[in-house]
Amino acid sequence: MASTEERLRTLVAENLEVDGQPVNVPADLNVSLTDAGVPSMDFVAFAKVIVREFDVPLTPDECADFSTLKDLAAYIDSQAA
Amino acid sequence: MFHVDLAPHATHEARALEWLSPEERVRSGRFLHAGSRRRFTLCRAALRAVLCHRLACNGQQLTFGTSSYGKPFAQVDEVPNPISFNVSHSGSHGLIAVAPHGRLGVDIEERISRDDLGHLSDAVLGPSEKREFALLRGNRRTHFFFRMWTLKEALIKALGVGFSQDPAKFEVPLAVRRGAKTGTLRFPSLPRTDWRVDDLGTKDFAAAVAIEASPRRSLMPSE
Ligand SMILES: CC(C)(COP(=O)(O)OP(=O)(O)OC[C@H]1O[C@@H](n2cnc3c(N)ncnc32)[C@H](O)[C@@H]1OP(=O)(O)O)[C@@H](O)C(=O)NCCC(=O)NCCS
Repeated sequence: MASTEERLRTLVAENLEVDGQPVNVPADLNVSLTDAGVPSMDFVAFAKVIVREFDVPLTPDECADFSTLKDLAAYIDSQAA
Repeated sequence: MFHVDLAPHATHEARALEWLSPEERVRSGRFLHAGSRRRFTLCRAALRAVLCHRLACNGQQLTFGTSSYGKPFAQVDEVPNPISFNVSHSGSHGLIAVAPHGRLGVDIEERISRDDLGHLSDAVLGPSEKREFALLRGNRRTHFFFRMWTLKEALIKALGVGFSQDPAKFEVPLAVRRGAKTGTLRFPSLPRTDWRVDDLGTKDFAAAVAIEASPRRSLMPSE
């Protein structure tokens, strides 16, 4: 089973793009979706994808509280624990 | 309202970068994508030009503070200034709204066809808006969704509290949903304040601006 961070990286690659280009997040996921240039519409849609894929509660407001994707992965793991 | 042309243009971008403060240049350098960097840089430089003119100050005197939700406000010589402004950018278009007072929000979105409008509408539309959306197909569905999104986002940006104001918890006035260009509304969570919202959409993009109607006094932006 892939780790949460790996699954998150795959979901970013499958669901997010900026100007038609893939969002190349660094391997350690130490980046915010804002710095990645993800606009709020995609941000809201991505929060929904996370809820579906990981079966965790997550509103766009809560999602915005994570300063990096790495923090989001840690939250998902804490919910599964 | 000011429209900013954000089409790729290396010379404009290089010149705009020179107008930014050292902190803004660092932020510009952090964006992973050239397009996001360009939109931020060109819009921020245009905003600086507009505000310096309105506030009769120079670029060094003008800095920006941010509210706890990230909404920027102007400072001249480090003193917060009550002027209202807001910025939005999407694709090749930017919009800057400026007013003497009243909380202000603007949103612009280039309309693109996307296959997740159903999921998005679940997250952002209110009950009557969802019913109206469900009756639409094709282009009319895309247009309706982007129109609703920009109207709601402009209102949320005027309020300045990010996604903590759930967009599904208030509805765009019926007349505006049916095509009127202007309307007023109140957020259920803030029943004493009127907000005016204007649809600014064109064939190229969906856009809207919202402003607090008749604010009782000129609040400082950080309040
Ligand atoms: C930022 C936000 C207001 C608009 O996002 P968007 O539609 O993608 O972007 P827009 O182009 O319409 O607007 C961006 C501008 O809004 C302004 N802005 C930022 N935060 C704001 C807020 N809370 N309220 C109003 N305006 C805000 C800024 O000027 C920003 O432009 P700049 O940074 O280039 O100066 C919306 O996403 C939001 O409220 N998010 C909450 C915070 C958040 O989720 N951040 C993402 C974390 S990963």
